Amino acid sequence: MFVGNMKRVNLGLIGLGFIGKVHIRNCLKIKSAKVVAAADVSKKALAYAKEFGVKQLFTDYRKLLKLKDVDAVIISLPTHLHADCTIEAAEERKHIFLEKPLARNPKEGEKIVSAVRKNGVKCMVGYPLRFVPEFANLKRKIESGVLGDIQIAHAVNIAAGPFFHRAESTIPRPVPDWWLNKDLTGGGALMDLGCHMINLLRWYLGEVSSIKTHLGFRFNFDFEDYATCIIDFECGASAILNVGWFSQNTALGVELFGTMSYAQAYHSPSSRVITAIKLILGKTPRFFIPYLEELSYFINYIKNDDIDENRLSGENALRDLGAIAKAYTNQIE
Amino acid sequence: MSLVGLIGCRDRNVNSIKEAVKGALKLIDYSLPKAKKIVIKPNMCYYWDWSTGQTTDPIFVAALIDLFREEISPNVEISIIESDASAMKCKYAFKYLGYERLAKRYNVNLVNLSEVEAEKATVKVKDEVFEFSVPKIIRDADLRVNVPKMKYMSFTKISCALKNIYGCNPYPKKFKYHSKLNEVIVALNKVMPFDLHILDGLTVCGSKTLRLGLIMAGQDPVAMDTVVSKILGVNPKSVAHTRLAEKEGLGKASFIIKGEKLGYFMKKYPRKRLSDKIITFGYTVACKLGLDRRLI
Repeated sequence: MFVGNMKRVNLGLIGLGFIGKVHIRNCLKIKSAKVVAAADVSKKALAYAKEFGVKQLFTDYRKLLKLKDVDAVIISLPTHLHADCTIEAAEERKHIFLEKPLARNPKEGEKIVSAVRKNGVKCMVGYPLRFVPEFANLKRKIESGVLGDIQIAHAVNIAAGPFFHRAESTIPRPVPDWWLNKDLTGGGALMDLGCHMINLLRWYLGEVSSIKTHLGFRFNFDFEDYATCIIDFECGASAILNVGWFSQNTALGVELFGTMSYAQAYHSPSSRVITAIKLILGKTPRFFIPYLEELSYFINYIKNDDIDENRLSGENALRDLGAIAKAYTNQIE
Repeated sequence: MSLVGLIGCRDRNVNSIKEAVKGALKLIDYSLPKAKKIVIKPNMCYYWDWSTGQTTDPIFVAALIDLFREEISPNVEISIIESDASAMKCKYAFKYLGYERLAKRYNVNLVNLSEVEAEKATVKVKDEVFEFSVPKIIRDADLRVNVPKMKYMSFTKISCALKNIYGCNPYPKKFKYHSKLNEVIVALNKVMPFDLHILDGLTVCGSKTLRLGLIMAGQDPVAMDTVVSKILGVNPKSVAHTRLAEKEGLGKASFIIKGEKLGYFMKKYPRKRLSDKIITFGYTVACKLGLDRRLI
């Protein structure tokens, strides 16, 4: 997918939480890109970046944005910081890879999209599920027509949410406070996992015409830890989406039922032990490969104008956010 | 030899658990004392709820509250205690694990030991002196009840009665004690001795999560941990903190089982497979070599 002999893209990585660390490792695998700078408020996180050869380290991301040798930034900050950081990055004329969700709400999302447009930079929102081979294969099946006209879809994304832990299951990890504050995340499981699935379903079925939701509160927080959505699409198809933060085991999949046939795709992480061994050996665990693919796509995207930029643009992610906002409004009691 | 009572309890409801606990206390000839203030220390190691087998079931604690109010006094002041830890904060754990709801319903206090008044205390273990803050609420309680879970743990092999008291240390960054974990567990038990230990073995985690339906009661944490080691298939002599606790006079490893047969629970418990043991060993070695830094 990526042409290796093109000019190298210098990247700045902002935010070195779990996913930032995944990105820093994945960047080492992309020959035409290099992380030249990293920013995080935690010095421990910056030490991690240093171990991976990043030389310019900052506790204030604004200093990173001022660097002339940074062509593009990967923003993997908590959701409430997306808008400010992305707008500032756009104003500094940096291309942007932004972790999902685009923002906490459509209003913030619109500000991001408008800043990107105004400054003429490229912005891609990270939706790794589109790069999972099983899900990409499902898309090909729809396009080939073998399933006929899709009428019903089931999508599920059940995981541990912020309460997941390191590769070895006996070590619990601290949960950053922002994860448990609805004002900072914009929502619970529906926002966190629902945006992945709505994005995927929109890729398959087109735009959402209506959405209703039942929100669940197993763990007594002021945000939902599970949700069931009934979604109607402009194409006439309907979908049921279940998302949840309550399980120690991940279930992530889509089933499509068409007039000719049905198909399903599930994506499961490899075992914790294999993941741990691969991480220690510096290899890419299976679950991280879609993240590597999306980053390669981004590098290609900022160097080429012929790539379908609508596929993962801010505008596209804004439509996911719009659907989620509607879901929160249209609740089924 | 110390008495340990074993009772089977199939149903997860307040009344069944209460009757089973009553039975277990009878087996060990324990009568609840007159008390004005009771503290209950469940296991809330992380944001994993009761269904994982990792943390104490709030329904189990509800049954104890009911029992204490019935047998001691309806006006007895009951506090559920826990402290912040490296990866867990009480303000979230109380909510997430269902204790906030329980406290409201049963009118009991939820106390974060990391935020309450405490007094310094020193204690000697193996010729080493440790200093801890002892929460006043524990010191002033007339009855201290420990409600642990039973499980495997990488660094201490098993976790049950003695290890659960580790969570009474108000200092939140507990990883600083990991290099002397066995000594610190024993020291904390010496400085904050609990009167009664009632194991919530209704749902347990081993090689998998399982409804074991076990309630175990005892006054001797060393004997309780020894019995639990046997159920888990771990040689009790290989568990350093239990051995050390016995040496330091916290209890006796020899026990008399009353009630259900130990063999039944030994057979039913989802013991670690060889592959699990290899993984745990590998992980411990990786940590010692500093390779865990490469994980995410």
